[in-house]
Amino acid sequence: MKNQVNPWLTGNLYVLVIGMLPAIVLIGALLYFTAWAFAFSFTDLALVGRKSVEWSWVGLENFERLFTRRGFLESLWTTVIFVFFSAIVGQSVLGFLLAATLRGTQSTLRTVVEVCIMLGWLLPDIVAAFLWSATTSQTGLINQLIVVPLGFPPINFINNYALPVVTIANIWKGTAWSYLLFSAALDSVSREVVEAAKVDGATPLQRIWLVQLPIIRPHIATNMLFITIWTFTYFPLIFAMTGGGPGRQTETLAVFLYNQSFSRGNLGFGSAISVAMLLIVGFLSLFYLRLLREPK
Amino acid sequence: MLKTGFLSTVAALTLMAASTLPARAEISFMYADWIAALVEPGIANFEKETGEKVNAIKLPGQGYDQRIALDLSAGTAADVALMDSFMVSELASAGYLEPLGEHLKGWDQSQYYLPGLLEVASYQGEVYALPTDTDVRMLWYDLSNFEKAGIPTPWEPKNWQDILDAAQKLKDAGVQYPFQLPAGTKQGEASTMQGVYMALLGADVPEGDRNRLLNRETNQWIGDSPALRRTFELYSKVYSEDQLNPADLNYATDIGAAVRAALAADQLGILASGSWEDACLWDCNNPPTREVRDAEVAWTPWPGSGEPGTKATTNISGGWTIGVNAKASDKELAFKLITSIFDEANFKAWTLETHRMAVRTDISDSPEYMADPFLAKATALAADTTGRDTVPGYQTVSALIQQATSDLLDGVSVDEVIETYHNALVDEFGEENVITYE
Repeated sequence: MKNQVNPWLTGNLYVLVIGMLPAIVLIGALLYFTAWAFAFSFTDLALVGRKSVEWSWVGLENFERLFTRRGFLESLWTTVIFVFFSAIVGQSVLGFLLAATLRGTQSTLRTVVEVCIMLGWLLPDIVAAFLWSATTSQTGLINQLIVVPLGFPPINFINNYALPVVTIANIWKGTAWSYLLFSAALDSVSREVVEAAKVDGATPLQRIWLVQLPIIRPHIATNMLFITIWTFTYFPLIFAMTGGGPGRQTETLAVFLYNQSFSRGNLGFGSAISVAMLLIVGFLSLFYLRLLREPK
Repeated sequence: MLKTGFLSTVAALTLMAASTLPARAEISFMYADWIAALVEPGIANFEKETGEKVNAIKLPGQGYDQRIALDLSAGTAADVALMDSFMVSELASAGYLEPLGEHLKGWDQSQYYLPGLLEVASYQGEVYALPTDTDVRMLWYDLSNFEKAGIPTPWEPKNWQDILDAAQKLKDAGVQYPFQLPAGTKQGEASTMQGVYMALLGADVPEGDRNRLLNRETNQWIGDSPALRRTFELYSKVYSEDQLNPADLNYATDIGAAVRAALAADQLGILASGSWEDACLWDCNNPPTREVRDAEVAWTPWPGSGEPGTKATTNISGGWTIGVNAKASDKELAFKLITSIFDEANFKAWTLETHRMAVRTDISDSPEYMADPFLAKATALAADTTGRDTVPGYQTVSALIQQATSDLLDGVSVDEVIETYHNALVDEFGEENVITYE
């Protein structure tokens, strides 16, 4: 169909502009924050003090410091580990396994498990952080219930294994999303196709690997896209549990950004970190979007 | 499904937007929960007298400094706000606070404030906030754990080695946190004040401000000095080399609560903290009786490092203040709220009840104040105290110091930590404003 423009609209520029206004406002609002962060990443803007009003342009200095100063590269590495193990491996794989296993089970059992998975997701981050800290501390539940009764000395998990503990906490917190998405995706795989594979002699593993997975490939990519972006910029659970510590052990980029912007008060450098994060997440998104395309 | 989700999101966003719009009819006041016993009766009196409604915003102490700085700079702060005294000059220099000079002239109780403490809350000769209390710092210790470790009490360490020896004995006796020395970024200002600065002041001779973060004569930050190196080595010993304390309390979800729980459960040996602990041992707003407290804990001044020429004991004082937002809609009313909180009857009752160090002569000269045994001893410590480098930039330097202690917890070498710190100072203030002491 050919795009027809109402002659009354084309003749009235004012009406046209007024009609466009909502769209312009919306696009402006969306661009404003990104543009703000981008512009101020080239300045020495501070949170408080004189430089918060009399800031100046410093060129690429902030971006140079991402690589020449301690912090950014370490945090990037911590973030990569955190995203890979908690989101890509943990939430995604666990969510898929649960969805695949529970498919076709009795409805009561399925409901019970679903509610349990959802509880982690529904619990506010701060409450979850308190629970996980209390559970994994030296006098916490795991020690009281498992480690000590077995005759071992209590282990201070949150202190000695901070990154694994926050990773596991995030798997617990976020698996519900992947589970729901994969559940819905697997439901959309037509029963006939799976039955046909079965008749042709495919083993259960082959049916998953060669039949179901290729069909739900776009869902996998969508899920990866979402959880990678979320986890990459995820802040509250880690910050409340460990504040990035001990030392810098759990200082992901989001926590590093917070410390540099609001504790140190260097909004210019903070903006540079956020621009770098934006680029990295943008690159990852492009990668996943390519996966989404149907193979030719 | 999608539609209901979308609609509820829109509804939630609308609600959020509505709740952040400033309410014109009332006056807002933001404060940290630990000071509720002072401000809440003051708010009640204010409401009764004026008939105005106060929107009281009570927040947890952790992260409070960041919140107030962010709110003021974003223009969304409350009309009246509690803030750590070190932030006043910095916030005032950016024009976020209302100068109080004219208001103070019209209030007869303003004459009692100690001039030195008003100066801390001043910028370019103008007062911007009124102090709530001041403090001194010391080492608190758990009596039952000292007995268990065979360390005689009263404990009187003469130098850092004495502290480290005691911590080692406590560790050998199975105490979980032998020496809780505040460290890391999550502790915020506590790492700088209760930890680093208390050690730093005794780490080198006071001449030329060799034992400080700033040379106050030239206004240059000290990027490298023997005092900084010795202080960082102390941290390195406690947290890395000798493993005299696990790091986790410094990163707990609620640090204050975690430290108090550890103290109550007899898991703590020595705690580097301050005079407020006399009231805050369990809960700042409900202090324990003298007998209960004295049976559990005792305190001793922080000793110097023991290096030749250093101070025998060290001290640094901070304190909190209440000021008025420069954007407050009714500044007269805002100041009226402050005077209700600081009205003698209310202020004196709180100061005595929670054993705070008084900031006004009408309270400190009262017989009840002078009769308090803890306050008498703490005031003696205050005779030889100093203040923070309350010049603009301090907050940034303090954050860099906190980051340095964080790296030391990770086992990074003192040389590397000093180099990072020096570079960051140069980044922030320029080469000409950073000096090095050999």
